[in-house]
Amino acid sequence: MFLGMFLLRKVAIALATMLAVSFLIFLALEVNVEDVAVKVLGQYSTVEQRAAWLAQNGYNDPFLLRYVRWLGQFVAGDWGMSTFFRAPVVDMVLPRLAASAILAGGALLVIVIFGLGLGVLAGMRPGSLLDRMISVFSVVTTSIPDFASAVFLSGIFVFWLGLLPGASTMISGLSLAELVLPVSVLGLYSMGYLARVTRASMVDVMGTHYIRTARLKGASMGRIVLRHALRNALITPVTVIMLQLPWLLSGVIVIEVFYAYKGFGTLLYDAALNQDIYLIEACAMISVLVVVLSQILSDLLYGWLNPRITLGARA
Amino acid sequence: MKDYKTLSGAPLHPEAKALTKRLAEGQIDRRGFLRAMAWLGVAVGGASMLGGKALAEEAPKDGGTLRFACQIQEITDPMMTNWIEASNLFRNSLEFLTYVDENNITHPYLAKSWTPSADLTVWDFELDERAKWSNGDAFQPEDVIFNIERWIAPDSQSSNKTAFGAISRVEKTGDHGVRITLSRPMASLPEQLYSYTCPIVHRGFKGNWPADPVGTGPFALVSHEVGRQSVFRKRPDYWGTPARLDEIQYIDLGPDVTTHLAALSSGQVDVIYRATIAEYDLMKSLPNLQILSVKGANTIVLRMQVDQKPFDDIRVRQAVVLAANNQQMLDIAYRGQGDLGANYHVSPTQADYFSLPPIARDVEKAKALLAEAGHADGIDIELTLGNTQGKWEQDTAQVLQQNLAEAGIRLKLNVLPASQYWPIWNKVPFGLTFWAHRPLGTMTLDLAYRSGGSWNESRFASPEFDAALDKAMAVVDPEARKVAMQEVERILQDNAVMVQPFWAERLSAAAEKVRGFVLHPSDYFRMDGVWIA
Repeated sequence: MFLGMFLLRKVAIALATMLAVSFLIFLALEVNVEDVAVKVLGQYSTVEQRAAWLAQNGYNDPFLLRYVRWLGQFVAGDWGMSTFFRAPVVDMVLPRLAASAILAGGALLVIVIFGLGLGVLAGMRPGSLLDRMISVFSVVTTSIPDFASAVFLSGIFVFWLGLLPGASTMISGLSLAELVLPVSVLGLYSMGYLARVTRASMVDVMGTHYIRTARLKGASMGRIVLRHALRNALITPVTVIMLQLPWLLSGVIVIEVFYAYKGFGTLLYDAALNQDIYLIEACAMISVLVVVLSQILSDLLYGWLNPRITLGARA
Repeated sequence: MKDYKTLSGAPLHPEAKALTKRLAEGQIDRRGFLRAMAWLGVAVGGASMLGGKALAEEAPKDGGTLRFACQIQEITDPMMTNWIEASNLFRNSLEFLTYVDENNITHPYLAKSWTPSADLTVWDFELDERAKWSNGDAFQPEDVIFNIERWIAPDSQSSNKTAFGAISRVEKTGDHGVRITLSRPMASLPEQLYSYTCPIVHRGFKGNWPADPVGTGPFALVSHEVGRQSVFRKRPDYWGTPARLDEIQYIDLGPDVTTHLAALSSGQVDVIYRATIAEYDLMKSLPNLQILSVKGANTIVLRMQVDQKPFDDIRVRQAVVLAANNQQMLDIAYRGQGDLGANYHVSPTQADYFSLPPIARDVEKAKALLAEAGHADGIDIELTLGNTQGKWEQDTAQVLQQNLAEAGIRLKLNVLPASQYWPIWNKVPFGLTFWAHRPLGTMTLDLAYRSGGSWNESRFASPEFDAALDKAMAVVDPEARKVAMQEVERILQDNAVMVQPFWAERLSAAAEKVRGFVLHPSDYFRMDGVWIA
């Protein structure tokens, strides 16, 4: 199937998914108009004020009509005003998503370099001392939840050694020092898992006939790994990496809150805590968008890594 | 008497003579004396008159930026503010008619003097003619009248409406004079005017202060971004003594106090708004840190709404109070860092405190009362809380849960995030609410337990209580006021409105280089005297 057709089909599926999710979001948050009025105007608003606001903003219209109007406004970039932050939602979400992208980029770099590197090293010679050491390290880092390693790392590098800043607000602009701890925590948590998956995949590939043939032909280990094994061994790890992407971009709530990092995760947390209805809607829609886009990207990557996988083939 | 003069130059109030005599005879303490004299408009000076500890003998330095970690909350109309944290932001730009220091002594501020009538119902305030607004306008009596009329307007939703419910008229008496007439005597009026909902906004105020941040204060608002940062810069044209700092940056570090301490420890901020008992050991272990603590009337009340089932039956409320072990809650949930409460919401640190004997724990009596109320097999109740000040609130509730179980009261805890608790704090039948310090017990009780009061979360309504409170609020003499409070406290305690287990010591921390930052018991932080060494 041509790439264009493939993309068209994927985008159509993504749009259908987003449409369905948008309906569910709207249903969950705006089916009760009284609740909407209280959330927007506050608990001290009077019944008359709420009624006037509801009438003024079209909330007396039928539910489906309101949904279509809301969807249209969303697509047009009118995401409403945040009731907690008192600012246009669209102006808040995108900078926060960019901030999370910086954090995610740093974490992804750590995850990919160390996770893949360690996994390949371990998988090259299964059962060796190096393999065992890497396996133990991987199990340990994967077993410690991110909030726990955040406490450990802060305890060591902030409170004990005094080497790193304890909060990552980025209030004064981008600070690499402030990125170190959150990136390390996210990296540690995911790199172990990626290393284990890569190792398993590498062990499988290294046992195949074509690798044995390459060895018999006298190819060096470096050449065998880089030219013959790695590309095939990457298919499973890429799945893991692509699954991390939406989480890193829109789901790193614990670490962002812990380090007071003003990213998308903190925004979602604040929106949920403060019942900031329009912000919750926008954050939910963006989260879904990130997931579907990362799926399309991972499908494209599969095709590049293994040309035998036909783009668009039904699973 | 010749040593004392009024701020206005008017003759001393008749009560001042009696107070001086009682001080000389040792019937009242010096702090209570100074405080009451200040209400009457007598110049009492600063904390030095109390023999307080002098500040370190360092020459204060001007300049620099101070970074303060606290929540950056929404500010719209200051009189509607529900959070003291938010008030500490606008406190840099908006000023009050009076200033109450950390010793609860009232001083002149925008009002340079006040003179009460003999019966304490007519108060003449003289405004400081030097005061100017940041937009260049002169500060005028019209500004004060505009504010007070807004507070007490029929449609006002400010807590000031209850606190100043006694104001019947406010009028201009000259170029700088304002007269406030009360329907009942209110001795502590000057002190109440420093409540955090009472900053004076410009007479042209439109309802959203950050959008047009005009103020008379020493700092000007530069930016205010909810949930992120708020910046204030020193005003070179300030009418009073200039501030020492060039800039104050308030930074929102989220809800986790450990993160605040981490930022303080690594030099990212200079002061944190609050620490809780859970961080006490960590704070003690950190170098280059000042641990700040103050005892005050900060407390939690586990109050029951007296018109909601099953709490409309006083026997059920009494059973809850009798089964609660206040000492255990203090020892376990707050590690003993506070004073024991006795369920009537007046603190030993408040000047009008009268010590009532605590209610002895009696589980058998609690069971008997429950049986009498028709709950012989026990009863299921739910307590809603929001950990608004920290996890110790939930720890306290869990101890209570165990206490009540002994009496057959099955307590379910409904723990909400803080931001979800405040919208319903006065609606739930049984709730755990934090109450901040106020200099006088009457100030808290007037807000929280007067019939129909705007912050009356227990819905307690008693004409007998209201009358006793009115009586206490009219007394100037500190000892006589304490005696008057006995009845007020007794009514509240007898009606078993709440379990008020303990008074929590207030904790915070600042970098070692910070000077002049005083942990005010009400959390009212004035930053104009703060400097960095």
